[in-house]
Amino acid sequence: MASPAPSAPSRSAGPRIGVFVCHCGKNIATTVDVPRVVEALASHPGVVYAARHEYMCSDPGQDVIKKAIQEHRLTGVVVAACSPSMHETTFRTAAEEAGLNPYLLEIANIREWCSWVHDGPETTDKAIRITRAMVEKVKGNHPLEPVEVDHATQCLVVGGGISGIQAALDIANAGYEVLLVERSPSIGGRMAQLSETFPTLDCSQCILTPKMVEVSRHPRIRLLTYSEVESVTGYLGNYHVVIRKKPTYVDPDKCNLCGECAKVCPIRVPNEFDRGLSQRAAIYVPFPQAVPSSYTLDEESCLGLNPLRCSECAKVCEPKAIDYDMPEEMIEEDVGAIVVATGYDLYGKERMAEYGHGTVPDVIDGLEFERILSAGGPTKGEVRRPSDGKVPKEVVFIQCSGSRDPELHKSYCSKICCMYTAKHALLYRHNVHDGTAYVFYIDIRAGGKEYEEFVVRAMEDERILYLRGKVAKVFRDGDKVVVWGVDTLTGKRIEVAADLVVLAQAMVPSAGTEELARKLHIACGGEGFLKEAHPKLRPLEALTAGIFLAGAAHGPKDIPEAVAQGSGAAAKAIAILAAPTLTHSPEVAEVDEDLCSGCVVCVPQCPYSAITPGDVAHVNELLCEGCGTCVAACPSGAMRMKNQTDAQVKRMIQVALGAEPVEVGRA
Amino acid sequence: MPETPFEPKIVAFLCRWCAGAGADLAGTSRIAYPANAVPIRVNCSGRVEPEWVMEAFRSGADGVFIGGCHPGDCHYVSGNYKTRRRIYLLKKLLAEMGIEPERVRLEWVSATEGAKYARVMKEFVAELKRLGPLHLEREEKTMPASPVLPRVGS
Amino acid sequence: MPPRPRIAVYWTGGCGGCDVSFLELGPALLDVLAQIEIAFWPALVDTKRSDVEALAPRSIAATLVNGTLRTEENVEMVHLLREKSELVVAFGACAYQGGVPGLANLATRDEILRRMSGNGFRPSPPPGGEAEDAPPGLLPQAKSLADEITVDYVVPGCPPMPPLIGLLLGALLSGDLPAPGHVFAHDKALCEECPRTREERKLTKVVRPHELVPDPNVCLLDQGMICLGPVTRGGCGAACPKAGMPCTGCVGPTPNAGDPGLAMISALGSLARAGEEGPGAFAAEDRLLDALVDPLGTFYKYSLPAYVRTGKRSDR
Repeated sequence: MASPAPSAPSRSAGPRIGVFVCHCGKNIATTVDVPRVVEALASHPGVVYAARHEYMCSDPGQDVIKKAIQEHRLTGVVVAACSPSMHETTFRTAAEEAGLNPYLLEIANIREWCSWVHDGPETTDKAIRITRAMVEKVKGNHPLEPVEVDHATQCLVVGGGISGIQAALDIANAGYEVLLVERSPSIGGRMAQLSETFPTLDCSQCILTPKMVEVSRHPRIRLLTYSEVESVTGYLGNYHVVIRKKPTYVDPDKCNLCGECAKVCPIRVPNEFDRGLSQRAAIYVPFPQAVPSSYTLDEESCLGLNPLRCSECAKVCEPKAIDYDMPEEMIEEDVGAIVVATGYDLYGKERMAEYGHGTVPDVIDGLEFERILSAGGPTKGEVRRPSDGKVPKEVVFIQCSGSRDPELHKSYCSKICCMYTAKHALLYRHNVHDGTAYVFYIDIRAGGKEYEEFVVRAMEDERILYLRGKVAKVFRDGDKVVVWGVDTLTGKRIEVAADLVVLAQAMVPSAGTEELARKLHIACGGEGFLKEAHPKLRPLEALTAGIFLAGAAHGPKDIPEAVAQGSGAAAKAIAILAAPTLTHSPEVAEVDEDLCSGCVVCVPQCPYSAITPGDVAHVNELLCEGCGTCVAACPSGAMRMKNQTDAQVKRMIQVALGAEPVEVGRA
Repeated sequence: MPETPFEPKIVAFLCRWCAGAGADLAGTSRIAYPANAVPIRVNCSGRVEPEWVMEAFRSGADGVFIGGCHPGDCHYVSGNYKTRRRIYLLKKLLAEMGIEPERVRLEWVSATEGAKYARVMKEFVAELKRLGPLHLEREEKTMPASPVLPRVGS
Repeated sequence: MPPRPRIAVYWTGGCGGCDVSFLELGPALLDVLAQIEIAFWPALVDTKRSDVEALAPRSIAATLVNGTLRTEENVEMVHLLREKSELVVAFGACAYQGGVPGLANLATRDEILRRMSGNGFRPSPPPGGEAEDAPPGLLPQAKSLADEITVDYVVPGCPPMPPLIGLLLGALLSGDLPAPGHVFAHDKALCEECPRTREERKLTKVVRPHELVPDPNVCLLDQGMICLGPVTRGGCGAACPKAGMPCTGCVGPTPNAGDPGLAMISALGSLARAGEEGPGAFAAEDRLLDALVDPLGTFYKYSLPAYVRTGKRSDR
């Protein structure tokens, strides 16, 4: 279906542009009159060949382009098709194979920006305008060669939960240095807080701690706990990171975990690891298997370090591990890639007005219940309720608490709650044989290997009462917690005077995710989870090159998914660390030294410090990311963007608005 | 002959990371909006020059749309802040020239806001229909004439 | 000995400063006058329009026109001079880009005439009066010279500075002429010639010249003065910034600057800072930029007709 342009200009010196319009099956052709676009472009000045194809991105489609480049000695190509984020690389590679510099090919987006969003006759007109404007750009393009860049060969992993641990181990085992940063005193993350895991009921700590130990012993992993990312500058392959390591006031090499310090400490504060269900001293170890295995002195709750007010802990510390003068450290490193695995929090139960605002002690969230079930938890694994320590005989589990509730809370499904609620109810029944468990649910979502079987087992073998419906209200009545709900299958109102209520709270990104994303210049979606470069095809990558996403920071996930994504992100990072050199886009800013007066307006505009001032400014093309902010700022037009000059854009504007195209080469 | 209704001409400069990706998402999600704007992709809204806005007006545009990343989300850290201030000044100048500043619209559209892109496009087209045509087409005679006064090289 | 080249100097709608600027050449002017023949120069010698009309086409080697085009007579005269001249030079900011009188384009002709008649000005001859009494008709808008006729060269400035006049005269008298369209000034901005230091490159306030005694060594822009130096051709020796006054752009924009006002808006918007950039600073940044009163008059003091199409179009 290739059709040559009716009259090809024969001027050998002028541009010889080829235009290739894609039908994209019906995706473009339904609303855009593709033959008319071809016809309009064929008569556009400078265009010597115009053709269309059912699927330009297919091999036969690409062959049409390659053949035309050679037969018609094209000096530039415009492919009118889908978004350049889809196939720019595909077509540029094809052009290169046919001997045309890839930077002489541009994509005119007539699908996402046109055929899919309009349907009247104006759709074809707009497609023609978009394509003609792009022809004008290509006329002004110059052949460019990618810039080669050296890169750092170590990787930063942010977050020491299971996903970050997996990524760090995979990268280190591949032979690369890893900097693993965790903001709490120990790695392990949420998984360390869990009692058992679904659907196999493995002991969570038992399967996690060997990996934690492996991290601590790995010769290529530098573990920085109690540390946070302070700043990140640079670019793919050459990120410069500054890590702030807070003082723990305990030398981990000397600490032998004897625990005498905590015994004499006069302070007691809620223990975060037990979700506040137990207390800890100001000097503490979050849990016995913590890595690094050392106590941490929490400056915030200590009576005072400066001036020193107590010093009881140092007095009893036999190995003399406590150092009240330990300074905060700033650690600077160059890394080639970054994996972000900062995990999740639970949506605060204090936000659940309908479930008691978090003020009823026996209304707890899923992680609190995990701690209650855990052998190392506040009740040593016996199910006892927080208010009075009684064994609860009737327990109500409420799914979708804060999830799937666009009016009041989060609109999304938190994905893992159906499964862990089944696990909770089942473990409860194992613990309290004469107890009754109710589960209120909207739907049961048990997609996953052996997940459905697990839920069925909970329902049938453990005789847990699954009630389909939403709980309207939870309130305290004496020592009971009353639950009002409706069973939507029978239409009956249900009231349970329960001893304990467990809310399967929505998963939200961990506190500080947005702040970190800002430092990394990566995006968060509407609900605050980190945004991937493409939801289907680039789920591990952030939009910023060289930054990868792993675990629940990216969206609700269970353990196997978090581990798989950690490994996937590691593989992506390794691909960068292992490359001999990286190539950098040559579409960067450059200075016309004949016009630059050295006014220095450009220098402070550059976020990458790529411009050096002087008699004339100088752009470091390795550092330039091509944003063009300096180009727009330059008052005398001395700063230029390669292949996107002002003259090119002005021609695009004129043609987009319907100006008659002018022969290039005119004075 | 019935008069054809006024359809404003718009040029839309979209940054590739946020607004451009948001416009892509509007497409992927098939959210319809009027076809008045011809989009031109730039790396960053910080690349957009006030001169381009005026070039569009002189070339027959009734409105110019600039889409960038939300504050704090700029892929290049702060290009959107520069654009915001430039457009603020430009609007002051347009007002002095007797051109309605509303003809320039700067919006933050994230890569996840396909629906927002469609909505602001609809709003902008409606706003321009209310304002009517601009008619600021280039009058070559009164522009510095080439070749005596070459204005833009490169 | 070859005949001395015939030169004409004509003054349209201007202040006369351009004619006076020749005196700044000092004794060198006498040398120049000795090498030329004055065909027509109403400000200097008694020559009449009829003298020009009597000349053969292209018999004047070069005509230097200063002033904006404001009246029908201005237009007739420059067409006449174009016909009689080999070369025409736009001399000074008014002929080049409309100049200060071009700011009148912010008002319509009717508004201008109404305002002037209030001051006793007669736009048309009184009933029964002599036609010759009538002033020439006012054009709807002020124009630059290139709006009416082909211009070969430009000597910019308000008024042109002696070094720039010298460049033109040197070229004319030696016959070593640059390509048509040449502007006798530098291609680089005058920051190149400015001795002030530019280290703190940000705009944290906007002040008008009378509000500040500037630091003698620091860039005026960095001190909050709206100096158009970065967008304006050098060649003047950065005379105003050296004297503590911000450049107002009389030499015109650098060759690649495009529209100087828009280029300055882009630069100033880029440089403005009210603390850490971000949403928290937006309101303060806006207040900072609001202190730039009259951007149109600031940026287009010498070039309004060349760049700005105003919304005032009642008689266009």
